[in-house]
Amino acid sequence: MRSSDEAIIVGGRSNLPVAASRSTIDSADEDATIIPPPLRKRRAGRTNGKGRNLYGSGLPWILPALVLVIGMIYFSIGYTGWMSMLDWSGFILSPSEFVGPENYARMVQDEVFWRAMWHTAIFFVVTFTVQTAISFTFAAIMHSQIHLATVYKVVIFVPNVLAPAIMAPVFRVIFDANGSLNGVLETMGLGSLARPWLAEDFTAMAVVMLVTIWQWTGLSFILFYAAMSQIDPQILEAARIDGAGNLRTLWSIIWPLCRGTTIALATLGVIGSLKTFDVPWLIANGGPNHATEFLGTYIYQTMVEQKEFGYAAAISVALLVLAIVGGLLTRLGNRQSEGT
Amino acid sequence: MFEIRTLRSRIGLQVLATLIAIPYLLPLLAMVQGSLAGRGFDNYVKVFDTGVVPTYFRNSIIVAGCAIVIVYACTMLAAFGFAKLRIRGKEVWFWMLLIALTVPEAVLLTPLFVTASTFDLYNELVAVILPLAALQVPFTVLLARSFFAGVPTELMEAGRIDGANVVRVFWHIVLPLTRPIAGAVVILTLINSWNAYLLPMLMLNDPNKQVVTLLPQYFLGQYTNDQTGILAAAVITSIPMILAYLLLQRTFERGLSAGALK
Repeated sequence: MRSSDEAIIVGGRSNLPVAASRSTIDSADEDATIIPPPLRKRRAGRTNGKGRNLYGSGLPWILPALVLVIGMIYFSIGYTGWMSMLDWSGFILSPSEFVGPENYARMVQDEVFWRAMWHTAIFFVVTFTVQTAISFTFAAIMHSQIHLATVYKVVIFVPNVLAPAIMAPVFRVIFDANGSLNGVLETMGLGSLARPWLAEDFTAMAVVMLVTIWQWTGLSFILFYAAMSQIDPQILEAARIDGAGNLRTLWSIIWPLCRGTTIALATLGVIGSLKTFDVPWLIANGGPNHATEFLGTYIYQTMVEQKEFGYAAAISVALLVLAIVGGLLTRLGNRQSEGT
Repeated sequence: MFEIRTLRSRIGLQVLATLIAIPYLLPLLAMVQGSLAGRGFDNYVKVFDTGVVPTYFRNSIIVAGCAIVIVYACTMLAAFGFAKLRIRGKEVWFWMLLIALTVPEAVLLTPLFVTASTFDLYNELVAVILPLAALQVPFTVLLARSFFAGVPTELMEAGRIDGANVVRVFWHIVLPLTRPIAGAVVILTLINSWNAYLLPMLMLNDPNKQVVTLLPQYFLGQYTNDQTGILAAAVITSIPMILAYLLLQRTFERGLSAGALK
């Protein structure tokens, strides 16, 4: 293996222009066995030229994935786009009528649609902020020689592997008017605080956010924890010598160094908020009175309960556009912050 | 990260950590305690007596198993192709996958429902398996591609020179080097397909075809307001995932965090 490796290196080198081979020699002193980057780049370029003979086209390799994705996702997108211009009850035998952009006109004037959008935005801001604050603090604590660190980690991470669909009924029981939370409040003499949590607009939304935060903090925590392991201890040491206290170090040094992670989490949060369905649906069915309506739940209701497939498809198209734009914007934001 | 000098600050930090962690434990405790309320373990007996639990588990295992096989195969092949082979219009194909990454499940509901009814696939597990796999693949390909790119091309060329064709190079040289990312792909697919709710709810109406995430709903329908039964069902369905996580802690954490960093 080694000898053929070297043979390739030697063979490659002879084809290189002077500049590249000079850098090869420079870095060859450092580590003879590792191929220096300029050489590797050069060689990759050559493989591209001759690769056809050496390996054949890569198209058959990516074909299964493409067929699956195009067959399911792109087919569905196209179909949704077509359906969004129909007035149709969804049954194959029932007549459909082409209505053009009518569904979209209706959507723009639909108050529930705009409320669902507004909920999504609020939901993102609140869950992202709270989750980030908790998981960042917790990750910093877990990096500070604490006892039982593994136990804490498991506790905060376990909700991540549980299905929202399984846990939502549990939270329903907890926050029910006759549920365990109100029971605890009564026994503590705080009965005046007890209320039908899921039946009031504001508290129902708060519960939906709470469950989401409960579920996803573990993931943010793992990411921040990993990011903090990458921080050079000498930087922290230097800050300490300059007289920075624990909180100052945390805020002025560690937080900025975790910026990449925060942005990655924001991307996830935007897309995740747009995808929200399980928790609001199972906890409050999008109610009371649309107070926990999200785009996903609204699409489902419009389609399954009201049998307005065309209108549901129009909302789906809006959701798709938002998701793609949101994904691209946060990606661009990420790239920009990497540049600076 | 914090520098602890005194015993007092050490205790303070420990207390703070405990205070943050306890709220995460409480719902799980409430779930277990509630499931034992009233008649104790009889609640569990009642859940098993319905006879549907094994069916729901079997269906979930089939869905997750098939999704994992499909996603694994598609991902490994495509990641190799994208990272190491020459493809005409590679960028275009790759962008197609990237855009598919952001597509929410809800967008697929109407067309998949209509298509499944047209081809008589409604109430068939495959109507859930294929969309779940398709939603997972763009992401796992993206994840695995950057890992495959790290496999030295020189190793592959060594294999070529020794006379192996591209399939053998992939099978004997590249694949064994990519085990860590394969673990992440499998875990991610397992979590997402086992926990999937929206697609199974839409596509599977027949109780013989339903999966574990629909179990609480079954009890909601069967025994109105029987909270203990619902909670016992929730405990039963949570246990396999919690056990799997405790046994494969590192793989889970790595898989999910690799998953988050797009």
